[in-house]
Amino acid sequence: MSQCPYHDPFKDAREKSAVLPTQFDGDPVPMILGLKDVRKAARDFKTFSSNAPFRIPIPAEQDVRSVRQFPLEVDPPDHTDYRKIVEPFFKRPTQPEYITRVENLVGELLTDACQRDSIEIVREFAIPLQSRALTYLLNMPESEADVWIQWGTHVFRDQSGVSKGAEMEAYCNQLLDAAAANPGDDFFSALIQAEFQGRRLTRDEMLGFANITFAGGRDTIINTVAVVIAYIAEHPEALDALRENPKMVLTATEELIRFTTPLTHIGRVCPVDTDVHGETVKAGNLVSLCWASANFDESIFDAPEEVKLDRKPNPHIAFGNGAHNCLGAPHARLLVRTLLRKLCELTSSTQLIEATPKVEKEADYERQNAYESLTVQISGP
Amino acid sequence: MPRITFITSDGTATVVENADGTVMEIATENSIAGIEGACGGVCSCATCHIHVQPEWIDRVGPPDETERDMLEFEEATHPGSRLSCQIELTPDLDGLTVEVAPLQ
Repeated sequence: MSQCPYHDPFKDAREKSAVLPTQFDGDPVPMILGLKDVRKAARDFKTFSSNAPFRIPIPAEQDVRSVRQFPLEVDPPDHTDYRKIVEPFFKRPTQPEYITRVENLVGELLTDACQRDSIEIVREFAIPLQSRALTYLLNMPESEADVWIQWGTHVFRDQSGVSKGAEMEAYCNQLLDAAAANPGDDFFSALIQAEFQGRRLTRDEMLGFANITFAGGRDTIINTVAVVIAYIAEHPEALDALRENPKMVLTATEELIRFTTPLTHIGRVCPVDTDVHGETVKAGNLVSLCWASANFDESIFDAPEEVKLDRKPNPHIAFGNGAHNCLGAPHARLLVRTLLRKLCELTSSTQLIEATPKVEKEADYERQNAYESLTVQISGP
Repeated sequence: MPRITFITSDGTATVVENADGTVMEIATENSIAGIEGACGGVCSCATCHIHVQPEWIDRVGPPDETERDMLEFEEATHPGSRLSCQIELTPDLDGLTVEVAPLQ
């Protein structure tokens, strides 16, 4: 992405067909490519089910976690009841005092960045930002972030090659034990006290909620923050435009999230043999809902590979679509909006020093929407 | 400046005088229950779904294709269904009344 226009790896495939037949984990998986088709499939949980533990993220995660993720890996109507348990936490980012805390956090991190000769954005800015902000979402002491920061960009698949999945599960178990002994008003206490269809949650269900809460909103936010900073470094005029028209922060946020589409795709299982745009998917096999292709669908988005900060309408599906729409979307949006506003307020320039892109290499595509490292120099006003 | 009335799902009517902006912006600025406007108004999230009252449908006009595609999958749709972020409250819509679509 750095120093060149973004390359949409699904463009050619989308011109040829509605699906890209490929393979993950040794099995055939057709990727659904067009925005309308992806949105339709995301809504059709009977044909494209989420009722498949470990297999909804692609590649599958049975090697990096021991619990099914809730509510991600469940279909409606049970999904609806599971989701309601945690929804109040994920709606906290609309509260004024929450917004103020995030503004203060981003302000503190940017002020610190301005005082350094240079800063490596992924490790020294994005990971602390994501981890500390997550304590606000989960209503936990901010000091807990010190533990989470050590987990790296991706809990399961960090560049070190060592999964922190087991460590995270053990940590969550400890927090659940502590909450059971002395419940408060944090996320883990809520899980301990929650009722699902007239019964308490099992420990595995609680761990499943905690698992996706830590894993799902982690690399996605970290990578988006890095892409935003890289974009600003390469397009200093963008901040001038936002300063001139502060309302454009809203459209710019959606556009940068569309452009990044931090999660390339997600899986669904076909319960019976299914014809998916000409590809036969055997019962029990996967399809992919390819958000990254859908968000560059030229039949929907004019010049999709360009960032247009005032793009409107912008019906992107970077947060998914339908019943499983990303629970963390309000939090993610608040972080990006606040980042843009604070960059306008507290910085005068961002110079790119070093960028090492992170490439997602799969059998039939390579996609770059993140950085292994991104070093910049940020100057104050 | 136009006036707009929001009717929320519990039947409460809220009148906003001298309103400016899109119907979603006016709703969120006035904390109308059931209108989130999560995406900030780019027709991406469908959390600002309203029903335009029948006598206003012609004057407000129909949704465009992007908005229609979004509404296609929404529940509680109605002949007057619109995403309120896509309706600019112009002076000729003075007196508009909209109902907030029931939350799912």
